[in-house]
Amino acid sequence: MGFLQPLALLGLAAAGIPALLHLLQRRTPPTVPFPAVRYLAETERRHSRRLKLRNLLLLLLRMALLACIAVAAARPVARLPFGDLHGPSALAVVVDNSLSSAAVQGGRRVLDALTDRARGVFGRTASGDHLWLVLADGIPRRVTRIEALLALDSLRPAGVRLDVADAVRAAARVVADDPLPGEVVVVSDLQRGAVSSGPLPPARTLVAGVPAPPENRGIAAVRITPDVWSAGGTVVSTLDGTGTDDRPVRLEIGGVVVARTLAAPGRDAVMSVEGVAPGWHAARVLLDPDELRGDDVWHVAVRGAPPTATSVARGAGPFVQQAIGVLQEAGRLSHGTEVRLGDRVEIGRTILFPPDEPVELGGVNRALAARGIPWRFGDPLTGEWTLQGDLRGLEDARVLRRYHLTGEGQVVATAGGEPWIVRQGALVIVASRLEPRWTTLPVTAGFVPFLDALINRVAAAEAWRVEAAAGATVVLPSSAAALLGPQGRLPLATAGAVQAPTEPGVYFLLGNAGDTVGALQVNHDRREIPLEPAAPREIRTVFGPDAGPYAAGALDRELFRGARRADLAGWFLALALLFAAVELGLASAGGRVRED
Amino acid sequence: MVGGRLDLLDPYDVAELGGIEFTAEGVVEGFLAGLHRSPFKGFSVEFAEHRPYQAGDELRYVDWRVLARSDRLTVKQYEAETNLRSMIVLDVSRSMAWRGADRRLTKLGYAQRLVAALSLVLLRQRDATGLIAFDEEVRAVVPARARVQQRWSLLSTIAGLDAGHGTAAEPALRRVTDLLRRRGLVVFVSDLLFDRDLALLAMQYLRHRGHQVMVFHIMDPSECELDGPPEARFEDPETGAGVVVRPREFRAAYRETVRRAIVAWRHALRRVGIAYFPVLTDTPFGHVLRRAAARRSRLG
Repeated sequence: MGFLQPLALLGLAAAGIPALLHLLQRRTPPTVPFPAVRYLAETERRHSRRLKLRNLLLLLLRMALLACIAVAAARPVARLPFGDLHGPSALAVVVDNSLSSAAVQGGRRVLDALTDRARGVFGRTASGDHLWLVLADGIPRRVTRIEALLALDSLRPAGVRLDVADAVRAAARVVADDPLPGEVVVVSDLQRGAVSSGPLPPARTLVAGVPAPPENRGIAAVRITPDVWSAGGTVVSTLDGTGTDDRPVRLEIGGVVVARTLAAPGRDAVMSVEGVAPGWHAARVLLDPDELRGDDVWHVAVRGAPPTATSVARGAGPFVQQAIGVLQEAGRLSHGTEVRLGDRVEIGRTILFPPDEPVELGGVNRALAARGIPWRFGDPLTGEWTLQGDLRGLEDARVLRRYHLTGEGQVVATAGGEPWIVRQGALVIVASRLEPRWTTLPVTAGFVPFLDALINRVAAAEAWRVEAAAGATVVLPSSAAALLGPQGRLPLATAGAVQAPTEPGVYFLLGNAGDTVGALQVNHDRREIPLEPAAPREIRTVFGPDAGPYAAGALDRELFRGARRADLAGWFLALALLFAAVELGLASAGGRVRED
Repeated sequence: MVGGRLDLLDPYDVAELGGIEFTAEGVVEGFLAGLHRSPFKGFSVEFAEHRPYQAGDELRYVDWRVLARSDRLTVKQYEAETNLRSMIVLDVSRSMAWRGADRRLTKLGYAQRLVAALSLVLLRQRDATGLIAFDEEVRAVVPARARVQQRWSLLSTIAGLDAGHGTAAEPALRRVTDLLRRRGLVVFVSDLLFDRDLALLAMQYLRHRGHQVMVFHIMDPSECELDGPPEARFEDPETGAGVVVRPREFRAAYRETVRRAIVAWRHALRRVGIAYFPVLTDTPFGHVLRRAAARRSRLG
């Protein structure tokens, strides 16, 4: 047995008060002359034994009464199976407010049912408990009960996906690291896709059951072809979810519906658009609303631009000349001098390859110096290097010969970790000639897409299009310095991998000069669309054999099972009342001692 | 208050009016004025003489023939009646000098006034009346006589009594047998706080000698209802014996003990034909005299 307020046990000293008063009253009593002492003596002789016994009983009752009150004030608790209290415990509550929690079931949001269950769990906690709250971001946060309840009051469905199993494992680790005995409670709609398999959580996990989810369908993906619309393009949408009937799908660009079609889950919805104004456009693919609205919209960025006018010098080599010809025939490039490719330093945007004759290298380096370019062609190197960079087609290629590029500036791609493509202003320098003696790239399938990207995106500064799920980690181009989204301009603190915004939408990537260098398309995770819950057997397999799921009453019984205690204060107060009643009766009867 | 009947007033208030003689006179006057016949009449049937009617005489003793002839109210007096000898035995032990409240007479004060009134009533009937006062020994003796001076002798003796020491009733009662050679009336006034068996033995002896015996058990109301501080040592002023009790705890049981003592006295005395009157010291004297007279009437 333990005490929640052990200091109150000092009140046990009060139990000695009746005995103390008894001793104090044992002083020599006053003498009263009384002629009828013989009657009194006779009475006392008949009743003294009973009275002494009664007085002793009264003394014990009063002491017991005060002791019971003192013990009750100390809030005694004992490990009893029927108790509704518990000893200090660690508890992490995972509340799944991911996108799917926004679904409406029976006229009520699933999230509201989840927060109700979570409030019930936090309502069972005590002041000595260590509490954590885990929301859709999957991060366990240490909270007080008040903080947790306030967080639940203001909780909204997030546009992100939560892997409940991962969140539970993270929560279980912090609970297991706490010195108090702990448990994890999961309050989730338990989408099958959110319960990933893995090692059992290192702490006892209880899953709160929720009502069956509604039917749902949503947009799982959208593909835009081509990347840059010159004369128009096509938007291909993929639907997922339940049902087989067709539903209307719309494409909005700039708030105007420009295309419509019908589609069902499992089939692509293709919408073609002819003509779009040059520049970036925020577009949306819309599905008719259903019980889960968050997955009925897909945000895309559409760029309209004319093809880049390109000319190729003979020094660029035959493979480059032929590939450019293919791109010009396909409409990705046009004829002109907007971008030049060759082995000479030209005026304007240029992609420079090393000359085939090494003796010409000195002249090229002098021309670079004359243009104020810090890069130089250095020593020739032979070997075999893999290519790294964010250009398409580099993955399967090898570099066999290259020049060592010396200087400082933007590195677009590397070979064996050393600069292979660099950029300085309007000049792009490639360390190898694009011929099979120098690199395997010209004989791979990615050669043409590589040149497309090199010309349209690097040399002509064509922007990027990056896709990310809300809240997920995404790698942005190093040229992006800020995001411009519905909420305004968001500066990027670090280059490279960043966390995508949790609010779906199109976020344009801004360069240092304020120019648009690309677009980030933030949308829901397609795994949030199927709302079918995991089966109880799957839940027990992932979270443990006694994980549930539990209804409200059953969860209350299971919660804190290891530290369950009963509050005995009421019992002691009842005992004190009983003692008081007996004492009252006995004391009242004391004034009515009668002859037998 | 003075204009009322003194026999019906609070004894303390009556005592405040004057000495024992004065208050006894007042009580007797009031007492007799409320009666229609002599309270303590004799029981002989042998005619002795006529005497003038006086207030309180029973109408049945009025000689109607004399009234018819001479138009005077006279009553017939009988031999034994004129020669009734009464002896009042008064306990003046220390226990009698106690009262439970300031506005009450001590038991002795009450008994003195009661005895004085009783003796006046008896003397008015021309009964020979005497007195024996005792504590642990006989303190005063006034032989029974019916002379006019007997009144002053009795009253002065009664007034001069004060509380003595212990109590020994039995010698005093035996002394009565010496002083009452003929059958007569013995009135015993005491708080009865002594050995009951010895006193009963003496009273039985009196009855055996043919005396009528009346016992007035004088008690202060505080002796019937235990009260006092939460805890006290109650001490007998006569013996010094004491007992420590908490009155609240013993109140009911004590009340019951007193009741049983009274019942025991009453039963014991009734068995031997002795009239018993428990008297509280806040009871008006007239009430006590009336009860005694009624009892005496039934016995006569």
